[in-house]
Amino acid sequence: MQVFEVFRREREGGPMQHAGNLLAPDPELAAHYAREFYGRRQESVRLWIVPRAAIRDLDDPDLLQPPFDRSFKKPAGYSTEIKRKLAEARARAGGEGGAGGDAEDDDPVVASGRKGVEQG
Amino acid sequence: MTAQTAEQFDQRTRAALAGLLLAMADDEFVLGFWDSEWTGIAPVLEEDVAFASLAQDEIGHAQALYRLLTEVQGGDPDKVAFGRAPEAYRHARLLDHPRTDWAFSVARRFLYDTADAARLDALAASAYRPLAELVAKLRREETYHLLHMHAWMERLADGGEEPRSRLEAALERLWPDARCVLAGIDDAPLVAAGVLAEPLAAVERRWLGGLAPVLERLGLPLPSTTAPPAAGCRGPERSDDFRWLWEQFTMVYRSDPEAAW
Repeated sequence: MQVFEVFRREREGGPMQHAGNLLAPDPELAAHYAREFYGRRQESVRLWIVPRAAIRDLDDPDLLQPPFDRSFKKPAGYSTEIKRKLAEARARAGGEGGAGGDAEDDDPVVASGRKGVEQG
Repeated sequence: MTAQTAEQFDQRTRAALAGLLLAMADDEFVLGFWDSEWTGIAPVLEEDVAFASLAQDEIGHAQALYRLLTEVQGGDPDKVAFGRAPEAYRHARLLDHPRTDWAFSVARRFLYDTADAARLDALAASAYRPLAELVAKLRREETYHLLHMHAWMERLADGGEEPRSRLEAALERLWPDARCVLAGIDDAPLVAAGVLAEPLAAVERRWLGGLAPVLERLGLPLPSTTAPPAAGCRGPERSDDFRWLWEQFTMVYRSDPEAAW
C-alpha cells in the first residue's frame, strides 16, 4: 500500500487544489478511490492523483524563512507607490470618483499601503 | 414506432414491459443490499467506501426503475420495493447467494455488471423512450462499476494462490445462476415492439462472447454455454439467505407501512 495525494478542480477554469490523500495498492485503484473520495458527489471536474513518493518535499527554513528583512521583495511597496501616484493624478484631474475612493478603503492592501505612506 | 407512455403498447407488451422493469429493479435492489454489507469490513478502508458507493448506486438505479414501473402499471414505488413477500421478488437467482467472501462478492458483481451491461446495450435505443432515457444515465454510471470490477478480477486472479482459488471456486458456483440475469423475462413481445433490440438469448451470446477474451487473459475457466439455465431463474422459490436479507431490508418498512418518509 502507498499514499497518494489527490488534487481536484472544482469547476472548469478553476485552480487544481489539494483535496487530501488516500492509501491504495497501485495507481489504478488509487484513481478509483480518488473518484470515490473527491468526485462521487459531482464535486470535481478533474482530479490529479500523485504518489506521495513523487513529491519533492522542501521545508528547509534557511531556504524558506531567511532571517533578514525581505519586505523589499514583496510587491506591496511598489503597489503602494503606484497607488499614491494614481491618487495624486486623480486629485489633479479634479477629484472625481469619491465613491471609488471609499471602495478602495475596503481593499486591505490599499488600506495598509496608505497607512504605510502616512507613517513614512 | 416509439412510445412516450406505455399506453401506446398493447396489453401483452405492457405486461412484458412491467415484467422487465420489475426484474431489472429487483436485480439492482437486491445486489445493492448484499454489497452494502461490506461497509466496514472490506479489505481496506478505501474499498469500504468504494464498494458501499457502488451498492448505493444500485439502490439509486432500482429507485429509478421502480418509479418507471409504477408509471407503466400504477402503484407506489416504495410499496413495490418494500411491501412484497419474498416470493414476489423477481431478481435473478444469482442474487440469492449471501455475500460469502470477498472473492465471491467480486465474482458475483463482475458477472452481474457484465451481463447487465449487455442487457442495457439492448435497451439503449428502446422504443419506450422513458426507458431509453433512463438507460443512457444508467450506462454512464455502470462504466465506472465495470472498470472497478475488472480491476478487482485482475488483482484476485494474479494475487497468488489463495485469492485465485477462491475466485475460481466462486465463478464455478455462480455460473449457472449468473445466466439467470438474462433469462426469465417474456422477451418476444418486447422485441416485436422494439422495446428490446434483440431476444435475450442473443444478448446472452453477446455477453458470453465479450467475457471469453477477458477470462482467457486472466487464465480463468470459461463457463459451459451448453446448459440452459434451469427453471425458476427469477423465483418464486427463494433461498434462506435471501429470506434473511429480506427480513433485514424490509424491517423498518414493516414496522409501520403507512408511515410518511
